[in-house]
Amino acid sequence: MSSVILRNINKSYGNLPIVKNLNLDVKDGEFVVLVGPSGCGKSTTLRMVAGLEDITQGDIQIGNKTINDLPPHKRNIAMVFQNYALYPHMSVRENIVFGLKKSGADAATIKQRLTDVSEMLKLNEYLDRKPADLSGGQRQRVAMGRALARDADVYLFDEPLSNLDAKLRHHMRTEIARIQHQYNMTAIYVTHDQIEAMTLGDRVVVMRDGIVEQVGTPMDIYLQPTNTFVATFIGSPAMNLIEAKLEGEELVFDQYRIPAAKIANVDMHSLSAHDTVLVGIRPDFFEDSALSSPSDNLFEFNDIQVDLVENLGFDKEILFKLGGEDAKARLDLRSHVKRQEHISLSVDLNRVLLFDTSTQGMLLNAGEV
Amino acid sequence: MSSVLIKNESRLGLKLVAPAVGIIGLLVIYPILFNLYLSFFDVQLNGSKTFVGLDNYTELLGNPRYYHSIGVSIIYLIGTVVGTTVLGLAAAILMNQTFRFRNLARGLILLPYFAPVISVVFGWQFIFDPVNGIYNHVVVDVLHLTNERENLIGNPDSALFVVILFDIWKHFPIAYLLFLAKLQSVPKDLYEAAAIDGQNPWGRFWHVTLPELKFVIATVVLLRVIWNLNRFEDVYLLAPNVETLPIFTYYQAFAGIVDQGAAAAISVIQLLVLVGLIWLYVRKVLKW
Amino acid sequence: MMNKRTPLQSVILYALVLALVIFCVFPFLQILSTSLKHPIDWGNPSLIPRILHLDAYKELLGLMPPKEIDVPASIQRLLDNPALSAEKKQMLLAKFSSGGDVFPFGRYMLNTFVISFITGICSTFLASLAAYAIARLRFPAQSLMANGVLFVYMVGGVLLMVPLYQMSVNVGLASSAGGTIFSLFLIYLIQTLPVAMYMLGNYFRTIPFSLEEAAMMDGCSRVEAFWRIIMPLSKPMLFTVFIYCFVIAWNEYLFASVFLKQYQDFQTLPLALQTLFTSKNAIWDRIMAASMLTLLPVVICFMLANKHLSGGLTDGGVKG
Repeated sequence: MSSVILRNINKSYGNLPIVKNLNLDVKDGEFVVLVGPSGCGKSTTLRMVAGLEDITQGDIQIGNKTINDLPPHKRNIAMVFQNYALYPHMSVRENIVFGLKKSGADAATIKQRLTDVSEMLKLNEYLDRKPADLSGGQRQRVAMGRALARDADVYLFDEPLSNLDAKLRHHMRTEIARIQHQYNMTAIYVTHDQIEAMTLGDRVVVMRDGIVEQVGTPMDIYLQPTNTFVATFIGSPAMNLIEAKLEGEELVFDQYRIPAAKIANVDMHSLSAHDTVLVGIRPDFFEDSALSSPSDNLFEFNDIQVDLVENLGFDKEILFKLGGEDAKARLDLRSHVKRQEHISLSVDLNRVLLFDTSTQGMLLNAGEV
Repeated sequence: MSSVLIKNESRLGLKLVAPAVGIIGLLVIYPILFNLYLSFFDVQLNGSKTFVGLDNYTELLGNPRYYHSIGVSIIYLIGTVVGTTVLGLAAAILMNQTFRFRNLARGLILLPYFAPVISVVFGWQFIFDPVNGIYNHVVVDVLHLTNERENLIGNPDSALFVVILFDIWKHFPIAYLLFLAKLQSVPKDLYEAAAIDGQNPWGRFWHVTLPELKFVIATVVLLRVIWNLNRFEDVYLLAPNVETLPIFTYYQAFAGIVDQGAAAAISVIQLLVLVGLIWLYVRKVLKW
Repeated sequence: MMNKRTPLQSVILYALVLALVIFCVFPFLQILSTSLKHPIDWGNPSLIPRILHLDAYKELLGLMPPKEIDVPASIQRLLDNPALSAEKKQMLLAKFSSGGDVFPFGRYMLNTFVISFITGICSTFLASLAAYAIARLRFPAQSLMANGVLFVYMVGGVLLMVPLYQMSVNVGLASSAGGTIFSLFLIYLIQTLPVAMYMLGNYFRTIPFSLEEAAMMDGCSRVEAFWRIIMPLSKPMLFTVFIYCFVIAWNEYLFASVFLKQYQDFQTLPLALQTLFTSKNAIWDRIMAASMLTLLPVVICFMLANKHLSGGLTDGGVKG
């Protein structure tokens, strides 16, 4: 295992910049997830590490060795591809041991690794089949196995689960998490799925338009997003953003007046420079006031008209209007709200975030997560 | 900067194409230029040559045999191109229907295309043989259309039509394959929509199939013209008396009074026409 | 859905299919039939021989027992004359058993097979390298080469007949049998290379790029990825292209006639058949049997490669 360092990486196709001045340190044994909408440059970044794309500017180091000019096959990297890229003319067994053999491993090691991997991924009964005779989920496991069998410095995953149906995707996500802890591998994982990013990453890198918006642990990013893009991209349903006027020490929208000073980590002095701010409240942090225990820091939005209720079983999502915009709250099955009812929703002001209306950046000081 | 990876890739690319491109350059591109050079010489089979300037061209343009062979070539081209295209299209539409033994039929109709010319021309010659051939048997003894057995291949005028028929027989399968591939990619719902709109089968053919096939038809026609302009064996082996351009060239170069310079001159002119057609193909057809 | 066919429509459909198939197959049946007919049977329009007559095949394949040499009765009487010495008898017999009457079909077949096979192998190999580079690697003048191949592919052999012949004369290749055969091999190579490159290029483009990337991640250089992944993966297509090249060389007449006319021992089948046909002992059954035997390997190849051939041809714009 090795660390990976990306220094001032730039990548452009002709005049079109794809990745702009990217810096990232992946520590030895760390699992880092690059997440962002399509076209944000995450896959390109991964492919530059792999050597499948050349770097327009900057340096990439693996284990403190600059590898910019090293061809892909000399980088000792294993990779899982989005379309699996299994060798169609080889059996599952041959697929798995191909890289190992290539690296000159001895027969005993190869056998041991094959056994380990096929047991871990439950591939034993498929070893003699060709990829064409496998289901999508099985192929995905073979692709994983082929990478894991290798003794690589770094493991790269390029949206490995995006071709699976929802159920299998969830299952494999758990598998990968399990394997990651078992192997303690240095890995970079690319996905557009924020749930994968949250569940798998030791750290998550959120990218947009070739720029890194935020790097942090999943909880960092969830609770302290640096701007509205990260705030709305991570978390589902997306964070509600409501524009509020600042009147004295109160944030005002609709009939509600939120005491700004009660919001965690707020810097009243810098806040006073703003006329308006964006108030960010995650749907998860709303509570049905009828069920919540009263507390000092709780703010109550009363007289909310429920436009729609989506029952998801344990959870239900409530659609309503806040500050003139559609807003969502996630309540659990204890609450019995119905469409068209008027209810009160409470929020712990420690969980409320504030963003600059023009720069979209977070206005709060970093605090305890 | 990591242009090293890019440089490695282009070096490998050049290395891999080098042998093939070298051979093609040496044996196609160079000969084309050499041919142009030779067309200004009086060239003997043993390689000796004398510079004659434009004599080959002026002689050629004053040679009635040359114009005759151009005429024969034009009839041959029109006949074969129309024939292969129409029969190819008809066969494709037919083979696109579902019926029993379809795969067998599809395989069998490709046979003429793959058979060596040399091994089928004698079969055709036998069919038209004045003494034993089935053609004369049917025309004279069964249908009584004429009283005399004719040697169709012996007479250059009628032989031209046998040669055209032979070319259609031999090469319609390739037109058929191109059409069939396109037909299979026409979405079924287009036909269904047309049927719902009250189009009968003929209307469906006219309003759905034909527009979809427009580009393929153009491709087939142009490719047929390009290939048939150079066609030698199919004509020469079946009826050496049908003097299309390539056969005229061959006689100039290797038979009777050998005049390789004149043959080179014919090739130069023919190549210019060909380049024009290929240019048309690349510009208009491949862009589609 | 399409309307279901009425019985009348079905009849018409089957009639048309049958007519088309008969049109395509009839000449082959004619060849087969005539090759099996006894000379007295040639005028018989039926395709089915009255008596099965295999002599033509036996003769071509050298299975004819030598004693069946057809000796005229007058000569036979001479031979039967005990006064004639054994030596004289041998000489007389030799006049009938040789003298251009023997057609070394096996030899021609072997010649054709060898040159076609070597052409097929070399062409497929060189084309696979070049096609891979053009389809997959970035290098200068790449699109020029891709278009150049298309152009070359359409320049027919007739146009190059004179310059190629003169070139081989100039470098002295045309003056020896070996040199001539080598020239012919090179010519077959350029007649097949562009097609092969075109077909393989189109095929390589259908292979997902990530396979090579996966191989490189598994420790293969680009070249190794090509050899160890792409080539084994393309085996069926390589085989198809090989067959296609093989058949082109097997069928070729023009250049064979130009180059091999004076080297009778090295002639290929198309040339030999043409010679046989124009020679004095042109006998329909023999010609047809020879045609059948020339055709057979092609039909076998065709059946072997049929699966991929149709698709490969239409993808390539295709010679024909």
